[in-house]
Amino acid sequence: MFKNHLKIAWRSLKKQPFFTFLNILGLSIGMAGGLLVSLYIYEELSFDTMFADADRIHRINVDVKFGGTESEMAEASAPMAETMVTDFPQVELATRFNTVGSTLIRKEGTQKNTRETHTTFVDQSFFKMFGLDVLEGNMASALTEPNTLVLTETAAKKHFGNNSALGKTVILNNTGTFTVTGIIPDLPKNSFLRDYSIFMSMAGLEDAQEADWTSNNYYTFIKLIPKANILDLQQPLQDMVGKYVIPFAQRYFPGITLEQFEAAGNRLHYYTIALTDIHLNSDLSDEMSANSSLQNIYILGLVGLFLVLLASVNFMNLSTAHSLKRGKEVGIRKTLGSTRSKLLQQFLTESGLITFISLVFALVLTLVALPLFNILAGRAIEIPFSKPLFWIVLLGTTVVLGIASGSYPAFFMSRFIPSKVLKGMGNMKTGGGNIRNVLVIFQFTISVFLIVSTIVVYHQLEFIQNKDLGYSKGQVLIIENAFAAGDDAHVIKEEIRQLGQVANVTLTGFLPTPSIRSNTSFFIDGSTEQEDAINMQVWTVDMDYLPTMGLQLVAGRDFNKAFTADSTGVIVNEAAVKILGKTPKEALGMRLSNDLGQENPSFSKIIGVIKDFHYETLRKDIGAVSLSIGDSRGSMAVKLNTAEYATSLASIEQIWNKLAPGQPFSYRFMDDAFNTTYQAEQKLGQIFMVFTSLSIIIACLGLFGLAAFNAEKRTKEIGVRKVLGASVSQITYKLTIDFLKLVAIAILISLPIGWYAMNQWLQDFSYRISIGWEVFAMAALLAVTIAIITVSYQSIKAAIVNPVRSLRTE
Amino acid sequence: MLLQLKNIFKWVNSGGQRIFLLKDINLDVEEGEFISIMGPSGSGKSTLLNVIGMLDGFNEGEYQFLDESVHHLKEKYRSNLYKEYIGFVFQSYHLLDDLTVRENLEMPLLYKKFKAAERKAMVADMLDRFQIVGKKDLFPAQLSGGQQQLVGVARALISNPKLILADEPTGNLNSQQSEEIMQLFKKLNEQDGVTIIQVTHSEKNAAYGSRIINLLDGRKV
Repeated sequence: MFKNHLKIAWRSLKKQPFFTFLNILGLSIGMAGGLLVSLYIYEELSFDTMFADADRIHRINVDVKFGGTESEMAEASAPMAETMVTDFPQVELATRFNTVGSTLIRKEGTQKNTRETHTTFVDQSFFKMFGLDVLEGNMASALTEPNTLVLTETAAKKHFGNNSALGKTVILNNTGTFTVTGIIPDLPKNSFLRDYSIFMSMAGLEDAQEADWTSNNYYTFIKLIPKANILDLQQPLQDMVGKYVIPFAQRYFPGITLEQFEAAGNRLHYYTIALTDIHLNSDLSDEMSANSSLQNIYILGLVGLFLVLLASVNFMNLSTAHSLKRGKEVGIRKTLGSTRSKLLQQFLTESGLITFISLVFALVLTLVALPLFNILAGRAIEIPFSKPLFWIVLLGTTVVLGIASGSYPAFFMSRFIPSKVLKGMGNMKTGGGNIRNVLVIFQFTISVFLIVSTIVVYHQLEFIQNKDLGYSKGQVLIIENAFAAGDDAHVIKEEIRQLGQVANVTLTGFLPTPSIRSNTSFFIDGSTEQEDAINMQVWTVDMDYLPTMGLQLVAGRDFNKAFTADSTGVIVNEAAVKILGKTPKEALGMRLSNDLGQENPSFSKIIGVIKDFHYETLRKDIGAVSLSIGDSRGSMAVKLNTAEYATSLASIEQIWNKLAPGQPFSYRFMDDAFNTTYQAEQKLGQIFMVFTSLSIIIACLGLFGLAAFNAEKRTKEIGVRKVLGASVSQITYKLTIDFLKLVAIAILISLPIGWYAMNQWLQDFSYRISIGWEVFAMAALLAVTIAIITVSYQSIKAAIVNPVRSLRTE
Repeated sequence: MLLQLKNIFKWVNSGGQRIFLLKDINLDVEEGEFISIMGPSGSGKSTLLNVIGMLDGFNEGEYQFLDESVHHLKEKYRSNLYKEYIGFVFQSYHLLDDLTVRENLEMPLLYKKFKAAERKAMVADMLDRFQIVGKKDLFPAQLSGGQQQLVGVARALISNPKLILADEPTGNLNSQQSEEIMQLFKKLNEQDGVTIIQVTHSEKNAAYGSRIINLLDGRKV
């Protein structure tokens, strides 16, 4: 029987190639979209789960409020790790990371440096903590000695080719000599270590051995013994503040107690986060790798679900619309003795067949689209063809989808009463029409919602791009690793300044783009009261910083070489002045110290106040910043007075190569650096755009099919109307307006939903657009236009048919 | 003279062969005539009716309608011409199922841009004249075949055409209903002076007319 069903199903699909094509196209696009999203979400959820005992690994986070500012950090203090292992029986192991960002590396005996972007110091327990093994070398002794390091397989290949890197010597940043003591496999793409390639022994880092409880510079991971509960650890962890941190702090604040510390409104809170929660639930400013957010997962999941729903709705729509044609078949089958359940089976076989054909196309589509999607999402997702679970889920979902989409049309059609359908369509002309209308409204509601979302995301991104940031990011070239030139960096700076195309140059590690920076507490001269403390970022800059970055003074003056005292002067931003509770004018001349209470405290005098500028992402408010003169060579920023980048770049590179031979000349433009900050949003915007387009395509396929069906159903009516004097445009209008009414209802439903949802999304930004009526007007116009284009083809086609054809009675 | 067909030819090309649907048709129709077109299936009766009704074109020949050369007219003028002067009645009535009797009658007026008040008056007049006032809010499916055709004829007449073209108007009706419709045609022709051209298979119905044209294989015999 099933074979017969299948045969009949196949024939009936072949008989209506157009509808079959629309059905399969819509379903496979929807399924491919759903599959892509599912794979992406699966990948995101699987982050860091591949490490052995991942469920027992946790990271220590620190929440600190001191002085005027608060911060939440993923880093803890150096002695924390060891102390926890000693003090707490349930902590089996602890490992610290101290990341150093990008590093120049060269083999001993060569001059040419290459850059590795992710480098970190790490404790020896690293291997055991994450269940890693070495490919080469001895795990037990690797990373025990100072000045040893471990490379990933790719990094080893990159620097040593096919020769073994083991035992070789490399020079880091032109100063440190390290021996390679191990090669480890590349770290999984879906782990927080994915970008790290060089792991240096923590034993060589002096700072790491010191018992400084107040600086938090170490990512600290702990592993619990089996069956230990992390909740039991929270209180003992917090108790460490009184036990260790406060006694240590007494060297700065003699005699301070925990009570006094807290009474002054300060806070120091230690807590843990599970390793597997970090990727989606942690968004601290100093994460080891860029994390994603659970919100994005929800959003994408919803979009994926929408796509599959849209496709399924399409299927129902087209099938029921088409069922009228099959009324006769149902009538004949029933008179020949078929039961309703047999008919149900027959129709479900058909929908099952369509769904499975679509699945094949969906897999092909996914295979083709996956590389592009990976670029878009920044992932290395693969279809897990070899995993049985994948197939079980995939086939299971397909069966459910087939039954879900097929059951309504099947029930609908199998209900036909033979005596009526055989006599002609009679009164079942409008059968299922209302439900079809509801389904079309549903589809367009989703599409319009997605259109609104896409527009809002893009507007917000555009807003960010064009926002006055308080500094000028245009035409600023940043030379990275300026420190590689050593003392010659200053010579390079002066030579670049001589170039005609260059307006100004500044040498500093502190650029107004988001990066990891720490706060320092300052006290106002004459007061060691903690409530008078102010937490500020200290940026070491040179005399040319303000003009190069285009920062604007609101009071006081810029640094000036003529005033020798400026070496102890600081320029602060408005945010700092606000925390001090002064106006910019009043703040001038105030003296601040960060080592008050010690012998011979040093003071800095405020000589200028600059307008606030956005050095963090627009998600965050602007914090206090102070600029002071010093020798920081992290990078060199060159302000060009021409958009003619190519020649300027060539001249600058020439100077670099002359004065820093063998050092890589690596540069970027500040706008680009700025743009990378919003990559997550941009990606979201692009992903939105893709899926919105897909959903619109699916909705249009459905509408197109329905319009075709509708025109067909109304052939006779159109003929009659034409004979009675209707013009082509009148008929087209009549056929089109019915659909536009549905689209209009969809727009009315989706606009408020879109408005609400997107306002929620925007709450994430401290600086955001307000959603104006033009967003909705645009979305509505777009939806209507698309609908008109889709429907009018069929309408016009139907309207220009000669009525003689449609009214023939033979 | 209402209309004149001169040497009308109509053909289709099929497999390199030219199949003639109408061959050298000459026909003069005076106002007030009642003509029946007869002939076996496939003889070209309906095609001729469609050509006269300007729903279908022809390949050769000349067609004068009220001194207008139809064969020279552009599509737009042609449709204006038939909208103005011709009413159609079909074998299967071709009423719109979604519209009530009243709405069906009103439809041609909508396309001729009559004002609402005028339309109302004309529809009421027609309902009255055909004694179907009681049925005005019913849908076609709720009427018998004869009643439906009555509405069909009423709809064809509502905008006062000079010519009614009826393609087997009684083909779907029983003999009593047929009789009623033919009586109606006769009355319209004699009392109101409406010119009628009907296609029919029935000698009896043809006898209502003043003239019979016989077709065989697209040719007048």
